[in-house]
Amino acid sequence: MKKWLLRYAFHSVAILIVLIILIVLQSFRYENKSVIGTTISDFSLRNIDGKNLALKDYADAKGFIVIFTCNHCPFAKLYTKRLNELNTKYKALGVPLLAINSMDTLVYEDESYEKMQQRAKSQKFNFPYLYDNMQIVGKEFGADHTPHAYVIWKKNKQWTIEYSGAIDDNGAEPTKVTNAFVANAADELLGGKTVSMAETKSIGCAIFYRK
Amino acid sequence: MKKLILLAVSAVVLTCNLSAQTYNTLWIPDTMSGTTFNLNLVDTFAQFRTGNQTITAGVDNKFWGPTLFFNKGDTVHMNVHNGLNDSTTVHWHGMHLPAVMDGGPHQVIPPGTTWQPYWKVTNNAATYWYHPHLHEMTQEQLTKGIGGFIIVNDDEESALALPRTYGVDDIPLMLTSRRYDNSNAFVFTNTAYGDYMLTNGTPDAEVDLPKQYVRLRILNAEMERAYNIGFSDNRTFYIIGNDGGLLNAPVSVTRVILAVGERVEILVNLGNDNIGSTLDLKAYNNGQAFGFPGGEPGTSGEFGSLLNNIDFNLLHINVIAATNSPVIAVPSTLANNTYWTANNATVNRTVTVTGGNPGQPQNPFGFDNSHFEFNTINHTVNLNDIEKWTITNSNVFGHAFHIHDVQFKIVSRSTGSVGTHESGWKDVLYLPKNTSATFVAKFEDYSDSVHPFMYHCHFANHEDGGMMGQFVVTGGTTGVNEVDIASKDFTLYPNPANDRLYISFSDPSMQAYYVRITTVTGRTVYMLPRPQLQGGIDISNLTAGVYMLQLTDEKTKITTTRKFVKE
Repeated sequence: MKKWLLRYAFHSVAILIVLIILIVLQSFRYENKSVIGTTISDFSLRNIDGKNLALKDYADAKGFIVIFTCNHCPFAKLYTKRLNELNTKYKALGVPLLAINSMDTLVYEDESYEKMQQRAKSQKFNFPYLYDNMQIVGKEFGADHTPHAYVIWKKNKQWTIEYSGAIDDNGAEPTKVTNAFVANAADELLGGKTVSMAETKSIGCAIFYRK
Repeated sequence: MKKLILLAVSAVVLTCNLSAQTYNTLWIPDTMSGTTFNLNLVDTFAQFRTGNQTITAGVDNKFWGPTLFFNKGDTVHMNVHNGLNDSTTVHWHGMHLPAVMDGGPHQVIPPGTTWQPYWKVTNNAATYWYHPHLHEMTQEQLTKGIGGFIIVNDDEESALALPRTYGVDDIPLMLTSRRYDNSNAFVFTNTAYGDYMLTNGTPDAEVDLPKQYVRLRILNAEMERAYNIGFSDNRTFYIIGNDGGLLNAPVSVTRVILAVGERVEILVNLGNDNIGSTLDLKAYNNGQAFGFPGGEPGTSGEFGSLLNNIDFNLLHINVIAATNSPVIAVPSTLANNTYWTANNATVNRTVTVTGGNPGQPQNPFGFDNSHFEFNTINHTVNLNDIEKWTITNSNVFGHAFHIHDVQFKIVSRSTGSVGTHESGWKDVLYLPKNTSATFVAKFEDYSDSVHPFMYHCHFANHEDGGMMGQFVVTGGTTGVNEVDIASKDFTLYPNPANDRLYISFSDPSMQAYYVRITTVTGRTVYMLPRPQLQGGIDISNLTAGVYMLQLTDEKTKITTTRKFVKE
């Protein structure tokens, strides 16, 4: 009941004008918030095999499926098999999958590098699982939940974000997925089209960034 | 003939109503009893709607966790493990206990930490609850489903012929509603009201109840909405208990308003209903005056909702055969409470609702022109004082005033006499707009000049907005132990340790106010308020490594840190 204003003050022209300005500003803010078309600089992160990995290591890649995920989040855990399937299919088409863990390792014991290695082994990850313990890459993408999926694409020798959001629209029941957002985005980009649904909401566990 | 008409009516209803109402079986929370309770808070998800799951959180994987059964007189030990992705607190709503065990905004449990409060249950038999109380996060964490019932039993209540077979004729009902976005995620920002009921976390809930007197323990666990509760045939029912215990005698009503945080225990007679017949428990929220929480016009936006200003179902009841030993009457008397009166009070306080007025969007609701500040104590209460608090709301909207530590007696309302439905022990009172209410309470047993108790509006969005104040209860410790102790020294042994770690004080009169065990990187693993140290601290669950033990001395509140190694 804080914003009585919204309900009862519409007779006041002055306040209405202020409101319109606020709404316009708000919508600008939303547009600015969109990450689609943002370029991503290359990064080098330690993979679970102990070696560092960078985008430039994939000379032939047309794009990447980048998944911010983690060890402890129950909703992220639901997608393990689907990540293997996505990597199997799209790596062969020049769009490999990279999983990145940007969780705060000081706060979460489960997010240690050793536990990432254990999880990748026990769940038979067929894709790299990168340790972003300084949270630099997660911040650059703006990843806010695990899992948060991106599809990045090479344009003019730069990597730009073409999709951001959920992997698909049903976490616990893969057979009931009606919109496989990431796969659709990759298909469209491979077909030379722009992504029709470029942004969705990533849901799961929030990634908190250290200040 | 009657059956024929019924058949015809149902046929018409079925054919006319293409989307015939379907119901889901009411979730009855699991139970925990004994004196040690392990509550593991985790993030999880639930299938509330068609399509994607909704991210939720709760104790033991459930949106709305287990019901804890306490016996009055027992000392209960809680092991609260925060397995969530975020910090939290767990408040034992309605319980009389030391402030440091209370789980208010000061007892923050970081992720991965175990908090171990304990206290002697002195509350009367009644229905209480536990829920998160982290400042500015309460609405989000409540929305996700963290919380559960506490049912206290005592000898007085047990001696009465009341229904008490949990889940059969004694049903806990947690009322709340939720709003979903288009990905089925809960909405918890800029939203005061949900659009869809979740009774015990069940959408469109139904329950089978036996043909006899049934007890419903109803809790309003909403963000802001109040419920004007009644049955679909307007039958009379009996209020037997308020927030903090049984009434002296049952009160017969056809409606009862329940504001956020309030509980009411009712008896309803299903003995005259036919087996197979149905009945609805409903919210008669249509036509409430503006200022009733959930009476605002509009179906969307921050204060609109699909459930605003309409009557809607809370629970669909199917009447089944009676149990073997049914309760068939309402006891004429219940408890033998002696309540405080205004004349008992030696201290008078006033608290006035301020802020939140039209044209002041930057000034949310508060008390006495201020908002919650972590380090500001608004009131200091002397231990064992009986106080009279008058809460005044000359403001634009209703509120639900809640105070920690005590159960109070409402002694007067500006609107006239106190309702018979709220004549018992209370810890929340509904404060309609342009009214005031006065209660009397005794602040006994626990004094602590450091850790405060809260008083606040229980609307989660108001509380998060700072409509909360703090008080400490002080005194009662003067005497022989006030001698200043020069050395606050202690040692840990054995060190390295394996199973248990013991603390040896250089001064045997020294006591621990708080012990916190952290890793060398600063991650808290244990929070132990006023730990009982005779048997040592159980460290068997820690992984091997170096840890810091911070001990705060009871008398001086000086904190000293010692290192130990877990093998």
